[in-house]
Amino acid sequence: METLDIALPRMALLYGLCLLPWLLLWLIGLRLSRDIGISILRMSIQLALVGIYLKMLFDLNHPWLNGLWILVMLLVADLSILRRAGLKARYFVLATFMAIASSILFSTAYLVILVIQPTHFYDARYIVPLAGMILGNCLQGNVIALERFYSALRKNENEYATFLMLGATRWEAVRPYFRDAVKAAINPTIAGMATMGLVSLPGMMTGQILGGSEPWLAVKYQIAIMICIFTSTTIACIINLKLSLNIAFNEFDVLRDEVIDKP
Amino acid sequence: MSPIIRFDRVSVIVHEKTILSDISFTLFPGEKAVLCGKSGSGKSSVLRTLLGLHPIKSGTVYFQEQPLTPSSVQTVRSCTAYIGQEPMLGAESVREALLLPFQFKTHRDHKPTEAQLIEVLQRLHLPADILRQESSRISGGEKQRIALARGLLLGKKLYLLDEVTSALDAESKQAVFDVFSDPQLTVLSVAHDPEWLERCGIVFELEAGRLTQVKRNGNT
Repeated sequence: METLDIALPRMALLYGLCLLPWLLLWLIGLRLSRDIGISILRMSIQLALVGIYLKMLFDLNHPWLNGLWILVMLLVADLSILRRAGLKARYFVLATFMAIASSILFSTAYLVILVIQPTHFYDARYIVPLAGMILGNCLQGNVIALERFYSALRKNENEYATFLMLGATRWEAVRPYFRDAVKAAINPTIAGMATMGLVSLPGMMTGQILGGSEPWLAVKYQIAIMICIFTSTTIACIINLKLSLNIAFNEFDVLRDEVIDKP
Repeated sequence: MSPIIRFDRVSVIVHEKTILSDISFTLFPGEKAVLCGKSGSGKSSVLRTLLGLHPIKSGTVYFQEQPLTPSSVQTVRSCTAYIGQEPMLGAESVREALLLPFQFKTHRDHKPTEAQLIEVLQRLHLPADILRQESSRISGGEKQRIALARGLLLGKKLYLLDEVTSALDAESKQAVFDVFSDPQLTVLSVAHDPEWLERCGIVFELEAGRLTQVKRNGNT
């Protein structure tokens, strides 16, 4: 079963669809033309470049090149997590990189080597999209975890200090905020798994079905990816928060102001 | 007898602003001292510095003649009870708040009995049924006394009190005075209450982060 191609004139027709929401937004007084235009343009250029690069990657299918691509994705995700979480990259860049790299590499390797078992474990057709999907979700989770944790600490500075005064170690004093942050980070994945297939058809499954796969095969891949997303998000958030504790506090267990990127 | 607290020419800078400048004083076990001064003069900063919550720019803080360092700060904190104007109880119910420190490794083996909980509440003129109440529903004065009760349960010997009598009625204030009449307890407090000032043997006056006057038993 072949996927039907979308010819360029029909792609132009697709962009035309954006005129409808643009008009509606304009009518209700929301002047977002510039933002919408930039976003659509960026999406198109970025995806076109990724398309060209992926085509090359798939054709060459070289282990080092595939590894390099994953490394680039990890670095971009690393900086994006810290920027969105409001933390200064120069302090946390290594800790966050170690957290996401270890969890992504572990869960992708587990999925590809032990579960899917392609002829070559480095096969770009498997590791690049799978690592990308896991990383994309892991990124969201890490942003939530770091942002929640450090916001809660700043908001509850007196409570945290009270715990220290009552004899808590740094770890014991931050544990309530740590737990809340991890919970907030993994909750969307847990809720997503619980409603998957009922509320919406997941993107990967839809893509596979459109690509010509049997629905049953698409379901198996979707389950595999969801389990890996859940695993890697949980591992990455816990490692990331744990590593950040050694950076964000001074030797007297006080949160260092300079590590937080003030809005 | 060696001092329990000694500030030796301590200066503290926070956010590029000098909040304590060249402060020196000593406090011996059992002494009761009060820090006075206008708002922003650095009274609460003295307490926070002793607890390692402010970075020391110059000088040294000694606790039981040991300099305050990252390795000794845990000892200072575990020997000290800090009670602020609006203490954080850190738990949903009053009972949980009283038992909170006993969840931590340092105090895990010294969990108080029900009888000890009630006894300490009675010392502070608090009814036993307050244990069942939610922490968010009790008054500011009751919170202060619960925080104080927690310090007594932990057997703390040094109390850092930041305006504790401000929210108390006459009877509760008397209960607090009675508790601190114990010669074994050392108190370093921040207060404006004339009655409290009168009961404290030592008065440190601060102005713009500097210690301007020390009165011991009424003598300058």
